[in-house]
Amino acid sequence: MSDEIDFDEILGKYHSDPYEYVDVFASHTGEIRFLVEEGSTIDAVSGEWKHILGTALFEITRERNPKKITATTNGVVSSLNSEHEGCFVEAGEKLMTIRHPLKKKEIIESILKEVLYVFPAPERAKYFFSPDVQSRIEKKGAREVSVKPGDEIIIMSLMKRDTPVYYSGAKGVIHSVYFTPGLSVDQGDPLIGVCPADKLPLIKKIITRVKADWDNHQNEV
Amino acid sequence: MDHLTLLSSSTLDDYVATVELPQRKDTSELDCEIIFRYGAYVGSVIRVYPSLDRAMDTAREYISSQERSGKSVANGSVILASSLSFSKGRFNRSWHAPPGGVWGCLILADTFLPPFRNFLPLIPGIACCEALHQVGASGATLRWVNDVLLQGKKQAGFLIEGFRSPVYGEQYHLLGFGLNLNNSEFPPELQETAISVAQVLGHPVAAASFALSFLAKLRYYTGLLLYEEERWLTSGGRDEYEEEHPILKRWKELSDTLGKRVLFGYDVVESPQYEAVVRDISVDGGLILQHDDGSSSVEHSGEIRYCDE
Repeated sequence: MSDEIDFDEILGKYHSDPYEYVDVFASHTGEIRFLVEEGSTIDAVSGEWKHILGTALFEITRERNPKKITATTNGVVSSLNSEHEGCFVEAGEKLMTIRHPLKKKEIIESILKEVLYVFPAPERAKYFFSPDVQSRIEKKGAREVSVKPGDEIIIMSLMKRDTPVYYSGAKGVIHSVYFTPGLSVDQGDPLIGVCPADKLPLIKKIITRVKADWDNHQNEV
Repeated sequence: MDHLTLLSSSTLDDYVATVELPQRKDTSELDCEIIFRYGAYVGSVIRVYPSLDRAMDTAREYISSQERSGKSVANGSVILASSLSFSKGRFNRSWHAPPGGVWGCLILADTFLPPFRNFLPLIPGIACCEALHQVGASGATLRWVNDVLLQGKKQAGFLIEGFRSPVYGEQYHLLGFGLNLNNSEFPPELQETAISVAQVLGHPVAAASFALSFLAKLRYYTGLLLYEEERWLTSGGRDEYEEEHPILKRWKELSDTLGKRVLFGYDVVESPQYEAVVRDISVDGGLILQHDDGSSSVEHSGEIRYCDE
């Protein structure tokens, strides 16, 4: 991570296009029937326990087993690969893109993800810090807790099977925690963001600068 | 047979050949001989101790010491103890393990394919429930994921903890089990929620015989997990397993969770989250819950308590 960050360039990018473009792919092979059109407004999964499903995006059928796939993010369908309608696709085929409007907090997180080492969830499961890391966080706060490759930092819990997760990434302190104990995390979603201890002032500078700049920009608009 | 020290891998092999396999053949359409061959490593080494602090810790020490001395770990090793001094359940909950019960740990190297690992935690509950039915405790049921209940109280509990070996970095599942058999006194905090087989039947059960039956069933269902993996791979082994696994089918037959109104929580004792009705179990073992507002969700981790009890 460089100490030099071109704030104007990064912020300019978000001012001119304050969206995240989320591609949606076929989760497995099957025949596709779209349930939305280009321009459709999409609701994300919601509810205290994430139990209210998002907008149904498409149905994928394999061996007469239809499965509706719903949105996990809100926004508008900015492009639809309509040539796949009624066709059999392979797993991983891109089906559409959702344009998701970013909030200030998401922009900060998005910038931070570019400068932090983001450690992803190995499986869809619930996660909690290992007892040792949890007790250090409670005593000193996450940003005082350093981790290095090979450390047992998190426990993955799935069907009452608790598996230690070992950190693999740059040595540093836990800057951001992206999971909530008790709520499921999808495979590949970020669990923690880590940065070297000496880079913390830079991170603080990023947050302060983005907050101030974004608020000013919003006032101007 | 009423003493755990009588147990060995050869007594387990004999029990499987003379009792468990013939029974399975009579009642199952599956090829039970092949399934038992797949699971034959379970209980291939059995170590019995009069008492231990924690069987899970002993398993970790065994794996570590074997590797450090350049030896390999016998996959499927079982550690048994007549009592445990410092036993605990998940979330460090109290677990009383005095003489009279069967306490232990099964060491399984993680050779399972990802879509099948979810069924592993169902196995000890099924094995225990079937062993209870055989000794006359016909009211034994399963509460998701693997709590074994008798008269609404917990007769057996299981833990599955991952462990990465210190030298070779091999990943293991340590399957801890605690079976309340002839122990009939529980500490005050467990008196309302725990029960033993002897309390239900009104007479003691032979602990070693029960342990043999339980281990034979662990062997069968572990074999079934691997047998089904092989069948799935032979048929193409797609990215997701979408059939009803025979282990899940058997779990459903033994469980009373379906249709129940439950309190759900990741740690339901300390932090209950919400109430809902269990509508079904997903093909990968998740709990399909219907909320009061009509919406539904699927939970793959956490635990439940029945609301009507």
